[in-house]
Amino acid sequence: MDLPVIETPVFPRWVWIEEITYSHIPIATIITAFMLLAPLFEYIGMRRGDLRWERLSKSFIWFSLILFSPGAALGTGIPMFIMGTYPEFWSRWANLFFWPLIAQFMFFLAEVFFLFFMYYLTWDRWANRKRLHISMGICAAACGYLVQVVWDSLGSYMLTPGGVPLPEVDQPVAWSLAAMLNPSFPFLLAHRTFGNFSYVLLLTGGVFALRYMSQKRKNPSSENTSYFRWASSTCFTIGFFCFFPMPIIGWFYARVIQREAPAAFMALMGGHTSFHFIFKMSLIVVFLVIGGMFVVKRWGRKAIAWATTAGLLIVLTVIYVHPPLMWIGRSALAWRLVSTAVILGLIGWIWICRRKDNTDHRGWQWAMFVAGLAAFFTFTLGGFVRERSKSPDTVYGEIVKPELTDQEADRYLVYTKWLKPRKEIPADLDRNRPEDWRHEVQQARRDGLELTEEEAERIIGYLEAHHR
Amino acid sequence: MIIADANNPFIQFPCSAKFSIGFLGLFHVAVASLSIGFAFVVTVLQITGYFRKDNQFEALAKRVQLWHVCIYNIGTINAIGLVFALSGLYPQFWSQIFTQFFWTMIIEEVLFFMLATTLTFHYFFWDTMWGHKKLHIFMGALLTPMFFMQFFIINGMSSYMLTPAFAKGQVSLWSGTAGILGWDKLAFYNPSFLMLTLHRTAANFAYGGFVVAAICGVWLYRSKQSKLQTSYENGGRLAFKVAFTAFLALPIIGFFYAWVLKYHAKETYDNLMIGRGDVVAGGIDWWWVKQLIVASMLGMGLVFSRRASKSKNEFSVSMPAVYTVALLYLMFYLGMAVQMTWRFFWGSLLAAVFAGMWARHLLNRHKGSGRAVFVLMGIFSFLTVCLGGYVREASRPRFVSPSGERIAGFNRIPNYSKVYHPKERPESVKMRMVIETPSYVDELPSRRKPLEPERQTGEDLVSSLCISCHTLERLHRYKGSDWDRVVGRMRAYGRRLTEKQTHKIITYLAESKAHKNSSNSQADTPSAP
Repeated sequence: MDLPVIETPVFPRWVWIEEITYSHIPIATIITAFMLLAPLFEYIGMRRGDLRWERLSKSFIWFSLILFSPGAALGTGIPMFIMGTYPEFWSRWANLFFWPLIAQFMFFLAEVFFLFFMYYLTWDRWANRKRLHISMGICAAACGYLVQVVWDSLGSYMLTPGGVPLPEVDQPVAWSLAAMLNPSFPFLLAHRTFGNFSYVLLLTGGVFALRYMSQKRKNPSSENTSYFRWASSTCFTIGFFCFFPMPIIGWFYARVIQREAPAAFMALMGGHTSFHFIFKMSLIVVFLVIGGMFVVKRWGRKAIAWATTAGLLIVLTVIYVHPPLMWIGRSALAWRLVSTAVILGLIGWIWICRRKDNTDHRGWQWAMFVAGLAAFFTFTLGGFVRERSKSPDTVYGEIVKPELTDQEADRYLVYTKWLKPRKEIPADLDRNRPEDWRHEVQQARRDGLELTEEEAERIIGYLEAHHR
Repeated sequence: MIIADANNPFIQFPCSAKFSIGFLGLFHVAVASLSIGFAFVVTVLQITGYFRKDNQFEALAKRVQLWHVCIYNIGTINAIGLVFALSGLYPQFWSQIFTQFFWTMIIEEVLFFMLATTLTFHYFFWDTMWGHKKLHIFMGALLTPMFFMQFFIINGMSSYMLTPAFAKGQVSLWSGTAGILGWDKLAFYNPSFLMLTLHRTAANFAYGGFVVAAICGVWLYRSKQSKLQTSYENGGRLAFKVAFTAFLALPIIGFFYAWVLKYHAKETYDNLMIGRGDVVAGGIDWWWVKQLIVASMLGMGLVFSRRASKSKNEFSVSMPAVYTVALLYLMFYLGMAVQMTWRFFWGSLLAAVFAGMWARHLLNRHKGSGRAVFVLMGIFSFLTVCLGGYVREASRPRFVSPSGERIAGFNRIPNYSKVYHPKERPESVKMRMVIETPSYVDELPSRRKPLEPERQTGEDLVSSLCISCHTLERLHRYKGSDWDRVVGRMRAYGRRLTEKQTHKIITYLAESKAHKNSSNSQADTPSAP
């Protein structure tokens, strides 16, 4: 059956898909993170007898409920928009993952049941049955997290299918364990889990910091003022330290992409989406610097300084062992020297200025908010970069978008047939730019590079047009 | 490695794909319709509370809205499940119909988001907006039209599945009425669209109201405080009044709906009215069951309304209106008896009388409190909504192609009776997205364009002009042959016709009638042994 390609107004179809998806994902991830954290914080509050944790936990759930309906409505919009604009992809993909999608629906339904009926509505009623109440919160969190597990599995398949073909609709498959447990799934899941905790808590800390500022202006000695002071610094600090597993997971994740989806890897490392990736890294630097300075000044404890130092050293280690990051600048040595100087400088500053300081003035509140925003945009850019890296494929190596342009097709060919066999990355195209691309390609063919005449011509055409 | 490759080549759903879609669909309809009704009743309660300066209605409205928020999310997620199930089990049907109605679905999605946001703000900022009551009520009141606009769109799609009329399958898919892919006005505004929308509108008000009344009934049973009991009793009566008023409109709309089906989905009509096809596949005529429940609701509602109008309690329904509509109901059942069987009429009457007696007993037992009647009407209402949706879907013709054959590339809706069985699932259904319009699209039957007046035949004129005032059924039923006098009368009534057109119409009607009479007389002639 042939289906027409429906064109969208103003922006191309993929932009609309991105827009709808990115309107849903931040909401969904905030809800998931809050649901996971709420029972934990409630438990801490119960054990410590500290009502601030209870209040924080309840505010997480209250905010989750506010976001829930709009988030679910936007979530419904994603498959609906894809079904209309990419029906072939959706039908084949839903065919491969029929049971996981149904399972996801059941988890979602259970999540609503536990979250609304058993956790939120019973909060005051079960005030004397805290353990039961917390267990209901855990059930809600578990269901919510399982929804995320399914989507991460299905989403990661699109980047690293791991050799499982995307079936046609007349070959109903319903589910495939190999497709679900595709190579990048565990790394995407881990990356997103810590990423969620980190960005949500940094952002929450930033927002609470502003609320603290406004409360302080109204009544400096009120209970609300002291609560928001505590809540902002607690959330911000936890979020800051949740970030540090990310570089390690990210490094493994990048290695898997390099192996399983080389064209996507090249797109990230100097290719067509590298700009976004660099921008994302810059945002990380912003919240890392602000966060590191804040936690050290706010708490002034040796343990915090040690933890921050350890985290920064992890980042430095990843920079050293991560071959792909060599694309920043023309020289790998220069890049490493600069990054080492920045990180060691920050560590040095931490140890020299490591004494508790007043973080209550307005500058710090705004800095926390900026760091929260930087974390949020880092998160959204991460998803964008991942999706864009596999373009023009919808599922890497399996299905190409119907509106594929010649330029995109040629670029893909350069990645897979020119750079990959030569173990180069896109940055090398400019770094080692020859005088004559035609001569270079023909020489490579004589040296054993397997290319048909047509492929060679397309590669030469692309390189001459874009890397002359 | 694909595990399912081994011995499970087809998606099999427990209890069949048909059951799963039916279950998810009805579950969603039941919850979504309830949301619409809840939104309306909450607004009524809020407005009543505001004008009477009585907080009991406001408190009740807030409590109902909390339940509304909870079930709304269940409905939303259920819709997602339904979409996933349809994508996996009926990829061909779902992809095609979704492409046909793409832009309407996108608008529906935007409304969905606005609705979810408004509902959330309305409930979660109830106390925050206490000082801005009018704004808060307005926000709540916005929910009802938004819900209706949303289900207006869904009705376009679902009524199309029953009466595709002028915009079948691939023609609709590839053309789009305004030259826009994904928007086919003719497919959307299909013959049964208006009637389905009106029917569902009234039914949703009724259903939502009855369920709110039922919730009040349950709270009445559980509550010990007299103040709360008064509040729930009043709230229940108000909701009941809204629901019963809407309920009374249903047979009138239903009659016209059935009339449309008779001409645009004959098989469906037959299945519903006299058929024993899909609807009675399980040996039970679910349409009958629904009508029996409706009759019970009418009997129960009549007794309750009569009692309420006599008592000092508020929110009674005007009895002359109730009796007038009850008479219409009676006529409807009489009509059904003539068309179907008198057993149906007596059964319905018995159900109504029995339910009325039961309601009387329950009202006496609870000293005039409507709690038991509220609960029962809520349950009955839920059953009718589910059964109504089910019979409409199940009554649809099995084959979409007019000839009943499966034609490659033209199957708008897959063969419902066979798709569940692996061996018979349409094979070689490939899905392909194409930017260029395929060549076979030019060969598809085009939509009929209006002919120039000079080229219009008598048949064209009859079908385009006469039908603007009355159905063609009247022409077929007319026994006489004095068509010149009939057409002259139409002109006297205001039908503008040129002399040439008048002549063409009269000639066509006279010839077709004569032809029909001769065919009938041939059919009546006994064949030779």
